[in-house]
Amino acid sequence: MAIRVLALVGDCYGARGGIARYNRDLFEALALGGTEIQVLPRLGDATGAVLPPGIRQQPAIAGRLRFSLAALWAAWRARPVDVVFCGHAYMAPLAWLLARLVGAHYWLQAHGADIWRDRPDSERRAIEAADQVTTVSRATRRILLGRTNLAPERVRVLPNTVGEQFMPGPPSAALRARLGLGDGPILLTVGRLASEERYKGHEQVFAAVPALRAIFPGLVHLVAGEGDDRARLQARAAELSPVPGSVRFLGFVPDEELPELYRLADLFVMPSSEEGFGIVYLEAAACGLRVVGGAGGGGGDAIPDARVGLIVDPLDQAALIDTIKRSLGQGRVDPAAIEPYRRPHFVTAARLLLARVKGRPCRKRGES
Amino acid sequence: MCGIAGIYAYLDVAPPVDRAELRRMNDRMAARGPDGSRQWADASGRVGLAHRRLAIIDLSEGGAQPMQSADGRLTITFNGEIYNYRELRAELQAKGYKFNSESDTEVLLQLYADCGPAMVGRLRGMFAFGLWDGRSRQLLLARDPLGIKPLYWADDGWTLRFASQAKALLAGGAVSREPDPAGIVGFHLLGSVPEPFTVWRGIRALPAGTTMVVDAAGPGVPQRYHDVARALVERGSGAACDPAAARARIAAAVLESVRYHLVADVPVGVFLSAGLDSGALLGCMAQLGARDISALTLSFAEFKGANLDEAPLAAEVAARYGARHVVRTIDRAEFEHDLPAILDAMDLPTIDGINTWFVAKAAHEAGIKVALSGLGADECFGGYPSFVDVPRSVHWLRPFDWMPGVGTLARHGMSAAIAAGAGLHPKTAGLLEYGGSWAGAYLLRRSVYMPWELDELLDPALLQEGMRRLAPLGLIGGELCEGGSLGDFDRVATLETTLYMRNQLLRDADWAGMAHSVEIRVPYVDPFFLAALPPGNSLAATNAKEAVADIPEPPLPPASRNRSKTGFSTPVGRWLSEASGAPTSAIDLSAASRAWALRVWQAGWTGPAAAPVAP
Repeated sequence: MAIRVLALVGDCYGARGGIARYNRDLFEALALGGTEIQVLPRLGDATGAVLPPGIRQQPAIAGRLRFSLAALWAAWRARPVDVVFCGHAYMAPLAWLLARLVGAHYWLQAHGADIWRDRPDSERRAIEAADQVTTVSRATRRILLGRTNLAPERVRVLPNTVGEQFMPGPPSAALRARLGLGDGPILLTVGRLASEERYKGHEQVFAAVPALRAIFPGLVHLVAGEGDDRARLQARAAELSPVPGSVRFLGFVPDEELPELYRLADLFVMPSSEEGFGIVYLEAAACGLRVVGGAGGGGGDAIPDARVGLIVDPLDQAALIDTIKRSLGQGRVDPAAIEPYRRPHFVTAARLLLARVKGRPCRKRGES
Repeated sequence: MCGIAGIYAYLDVAPPVDRAELRRMNDRMAARGPDGSRQWADASGRVGLAHRRLAIIDLSEGGAQPMQSADGRLTITFNGEIYNYRELRAELQAKGYKFNSESDTEVLLQLYADCGPAMVGRLRGMFAFGLWDGRSRQLLLARDPLGIKPLYWADDGWTLRFASQAKALLAGGAVSREPDPAGIVGFHLLGSVPEPFTVWRGIRALPAGTTMVVDAAGPGVPQRYHDVARALVERGSGAACDPAAARARIAAAVLESVRYHLVADVPVGVFLSAGLDSGALLGCMAQLGARDISALTLSFAEFKGANLDEAPLAAEVAARYGARHVVRTIDRAEFEHDLPAILDAMDLPTIDGINTWFVAKAAHEAGIKVALSGLGADECFGGYPSFVDVPRSVHWLRPFDWMPGVGTLARHGMSAAIAAGAGLHPKTAGLLEYGGSWAGAYLLRRSVYMPWELDELLDPALLQEGMRRLAPLGLIGGELCEGGSLGDFDRVATLETTLYMRNQLLRDADWAGMAHSVEIRVPYVDPFFLAALPPGNSLAATNAKEAVADIPEPPLPPASRNRSKTGFSTPVGRWLSEASGAPTSAIDLSAASRAWALRVWQAGWTGPAAAPVAP
């Protein structure tokens, strides 16, 4: 009989962003092995979307109480459930309760920001009760182990994967023309422009542009992404890099258009200080684009060595400028450096983790 | 007996094994194995094993490690000795396994091929090893049942590293020195760091009596294959025996254990004090036909001619059994000279191990590579005051354990009285609060500081987190989980064996012995031996501690029996106390331990790495 997973997530199908993408990648990897997954999201609208075989997604419920009641009802109806998967630390108490209720194993996924600030005691205890915890990065794992009393062997790392659409290729002259870009080097940043995600370091790059243009005339910084902080960031860009057109805001770029954008650019720059993993680093590198990332958070896991790129202190403006200078003109990324992040490796690792949590005796009270 | 290390880059995204890092780890353990140093890495570069060799069994190149099976599938790096390897070898040969060497290491490889990780239950000896199975691409880490040989591991989520010493993991350069509040609080409470914690957050001890399998998803949950409480429950289910029969069983068990512990291709010596336990070991060695035995005794310049000097009585015992007696005299100047090297060799902070350092040093000077030690006899024969104090405390004070708040209130009152000069030991204040439960009474007996005293020593946030994660009463009580039906004697034996002996005595014997390239063998620390003893209540009724004097033929001299137990009968307590800056009037053991604990901690465990001390 197929393994049955009930997944409580923030978002998955019909939603944007790195966490939704990670959830989709994970569930599809598990479904390939015959696992049945019922997804209960808080956000996202998958109406009309054709989901892969084995995966069903319920309509999203944003309200906390309604979501909890719906999850209880869904868990009860879905019995027997083998594994309750919890995609966000704030839902850990609910996931723990559901798992106990239906006698299932309990797998918690932590992404980064959800555990970087100390959690309330009830959430901490519910996190500690998990049979298995997975994180996207080593940094998130380290922080989680410091904040909780989880035994280290219970906390595993499953890094993001990168799809086959992100492959190296020639830069598109058509796209360059469409964007009206000249011959100067192109710095690219891709990420949500959200007021609660100001750690991504856009402003540090804006501030570096004038100095860089002195060395690389015609250099342009392209900013892909949308969000509630866009107007403020545009104003900051105008202040910090006053030459018109030196910083260009592209707005939201759909996934299918991203590879071409990565191939067009000369350097991906995002000196983020709190990235949970930084899937965009990986996507850029998978398209051959060299990366400059920020120290802090889990970004280092997407930039494992100098073949992919370099990591700078986001607060050190001189270092940022110097690193960008050094990185421009160093050529494209060696595809072999990205190979371990490709889907076959991810699928194998995901299934191994499912087998582990499934094969583990449910934890008793007081066990570490 | 050696030093082992390894790196397994188990996640595909992890960089391949850095052989220079592995070499740095291995080099930090040079003293553990002066007879050879090797590395092995598999073709994929995902796993590397390293070994420092102290050759004891099969001195030829045939015993060199890391050792690989003939088909190349299995590779092992192993620290320890397997005393029943000849029996296992014969058994495997009968099944058709072919052997290329005379070493016990090869037996481990073939035994794994025969029965997988379950092999550990067959081994009589002390061991820690990492065994790579190239077919399943799994690394098996294992540690002996009672924790004689250490094994530490660090996992960053991509790559797992292991080594015989925590400091070797740090020396590799990839493991963080971030402090672990649980281990730090544990050291200040108990005088040693209770496993699985260390004082570094990224480093854990593999618990004694467990195995851990590391596969492509990383380390699995350690699997316990030996539990002391459960073993004593099983022993207790046997019929009780009268004192005469009990003595006979004790004698047979000790003789058999000593016989196993003599297996070596180099001469085996003995650490001889004036006590019964080590004297009985020497007597048994002689009786079993061991030749050219060297017996080592520590003597202290301060005690010459006094009753506390162990050398004269030890000399009498040595002469009785025809041993070459080596008396090594230590003075304070030597202690002070060695102190930096002692702190450097000390793998985790501990308030003990100094005596072992000097006796191992003496053994090394005398050319002895292997020595038996009486360590563990007090735990199995009930030689500590705790065998009386702890049960009495629990039986008398249990009602207070059922009255929440009363004990705490009493403690506050008594602490105030003690602070006002009531002349009692600070720990007395916790009598009602802790004394009524097994875990609490044991903590009270063995602690250096009690929990309520730590806020004067440690940062409040560190203390709070450390106490939460360490949960000392849960940690102590957890050792009795499987011991529901145990009697008083066996309960205390379980606690002393799994906490004090494991985390302090055995760990100290390892680093202090290994620092001088001396293998310390402990015949009283052997699950086969413990299982062969009579049930705990029979041991309690037999006065087992004294029965050991009659085991050898001839028995130990009357003077050995008549000598009163002198406890910490070395001036080391005074040196420690003075070295740590405590007033010289505070020579009692408890005050010395407290002062010394602080001195050890101040040596800088979790700060920036200090340069290693030259040997």
